[in-house]
Amino acid sequence: MTDQKPLGEEIDFEPDVDPTDPAPKPGADLGGLSLIVDDVHVTYRVYGGRRAAASGDELSVVRRLLNRTNRHIGAVTEVKAIRGVSFVARHGEAIGIVGRNGSGKSTLLRAVAGLLPLSGGTVYISGEASLLGVNAALMKDLTGERNIMIGGLALGLTATEVRERYDEIVEFSGIGDAVNLPMKAYSSGMGARLRFAISSAARPDVLMVDEALATGDAEFRARSKQRIDEIREQAGTIFLVSHSLAAVRSMCSRVLWIDKGKLRMDGPVDEVCDAYQEFTRPRRPAR
Amino acid sequence: MDDVSDDLAARLAAGDAAALAEEHGLARIGSRPALGAYIRSLWSRRYFIGVLATSRAYARNQNTYLGQLWALLNPLLWAGVYLFVFGVLLDTSRGVDNFIGFLVIGVFMFRFTSSSVTAGAKAITSNLALVRSLHFPRALLPMSIVLAELATLVPAVLVLCVIVLITGEPLTWSWLLFPVAVIVQWVFNTGFSFILARLVAQARDLLNVLPFVLRGLMYTSGVFFSIDHYVGTGVLGSVLAYQPVAVYLTLARSCLLQDFPPDPLVWGFGVGWALLFAVGGFLFFWRAEEKYGRD
Ligand SMILES: Nc1ncnc2c1ncn2[C@@H]1O[C@H](COP(=O)(O)OP(=O)(O)O)[C@@H](O)[C@H]1O
Ligand SMILES: [Mg+2]
Repeated sequence: MTDQKPLGEEIDFEPDVDPTDPAPKPGADLGGLSLIVDDVHVTYRVYGGRRAAASGDELSVVRRLLNRTNRHIGAVTEVKAIRGVSFVARHGEAIGIVGRNGSGKSTLLRAVAGLLPLSGGTVYISGEASLLGVNAALMKDLTGERNIMIGGLALGLTATEVRERYDEIVEFSGIGDAVNLPMKAYSSGMGARLRFAISSAARPDVLMVDEALATGDAEFRARSKQRIDEIREQAGTIFLVSHSLAAVRSMCSRVLWIDKGKLRMDGPVDEVCDAYQEFTRPRRPAR
Repeated sequence: MDDVSDDLAARLAAGDAAALAEEHGLARIGSRPALGAYIRSLWSRRYFIGVLATSRAYARNQNTYLGQLWALLNPLLWAGVYLFVFGVLLDTSRGVDNFIGFLVIGVFMFRFTSSSVTAGAKAITSNLALVRSLHFPRALLPMSIVLAELATLVPAVLVLCVIVLITGEPLTWSWLLFPVAVIVQWVFNTGFSFILARLVAQARDLLNVLPFVLRGLMYTSGVFFSIDHYVGTGVLGSVLAYQPVAVYLTLARSCLLQDFPPDPLVWGFGVGWALLFAVGGFLFFWRAEEKYGRD
């Protein structure tokens, strides 16, 4: 897998939702806690770039010169992507995450799934969290068939389990004979279908679906939404990051609004979505 | 939010998270797994390590017309280049009877270590996307990468054996030890890669230094000249002769060449270095397990 570019984005899947679809609104039937996120902080270290000094005017010439060198040598910037987020989640809950680009949604998901080291705080979870996304494990030079094995094993299935589900995966992806071609020969839609089919073959306790882009045809999107619902019923807790508020409204009962690495709002889907919509509206250019 | 969640939020704010987690049977994530559990999870993923390794080795030649034939052509071409440069242009054959055999074994076995280590050092940094999307014991990455180098070595070893036979070496019982020598070297390579993978994950700058270290090793390990003959058997000669890479070259030669009788001391050093690097390297790598993937 080294030297291989991950194929496409994380999840190129967006459920084709009907906004009138009633959102699941579990009330009293919520189970026990499945996740506790306690004051989580995540800091990235970025090499080879440094933000310009805050106040440039009153710096001496020497300081300015030093600053300039600093930007090229020993330039490590800390990006505080998540700054103290706390919440709890229950079994059977579908939680949407909204926020502007770069607000820290993906980072939060990865940190909560235990895939990014925390720089502060703690996460407690029941079972294992999994990000719906297997792209990074696949190798574009190899056939779909081989990649089903690699992806399935990467997701933690055993070889026997992968073989058992092989036909189901191929059938669900609907790519037919192309499964014997190297994945680099796939169209982006075909790749997305196969990746989604592989990803959804494993059934984790807490499932996280990050930012979906609509690829694939309508039939596949319908199938995928069905599969997502299925997984949600088994997964216990689902997190859905999406820029489509319609998707969030239709699939989630609760929404977290992340802004600049902090939890700005946490509440029932309509309340938070309305507030978020209100917040984003003035930013759109007036027509 | 209902009253129950408000209550939970209040408890969370009061710093009660640990008690709450215990109440609901939740486990803390992001802490380093215990050594035993870590080894068990690696063992349960052993098939994955193999599949990753063979896929990686296979994908390497997949983009060409001749395809997997390159697995054989590549080592042949290397042998040709080195024989031409060191056998014909620069004559460094002094002190060695079967110089062609000596050189080809040296070059191939050195390349085994150098390419394993080069790829293994980048195990984490070049697989960040993978580390950031899926759970698995991270030690699996250097292990599968070095195993892929072993898979690549197999056709090269066939080429090597044929060349050595052509130079007139007899097939003897000691040839049976050659696979063992290769395995021992592979264990060493894996251990070395564990160490470098962690160091590079924490300070990438080391990647820029590594080629110089490897080049230095190449000139001091007796790849294309006999250490005995050129450096002698003094302190410096002994240090050079018993450092791991030189030991593995000698080991391979002692299996295939009449000139180099099997030497228990060399075997002892070979196995010793391999165990030291494998165990030490594994522990060193594991101790940073929870930190991989940050940058
Ligand atoms: N790999 C990375 N290295 C450094 N900084 C990153 C990396 N990924 C994200 N960031 C930073 O973290 C912040 C949050 O990013 P992200 O979680 O991807 O946001 P979102 O998913 O909400 O668009 C951004 O400021 C971004 O610049
Ligand atoms: Mg994102």
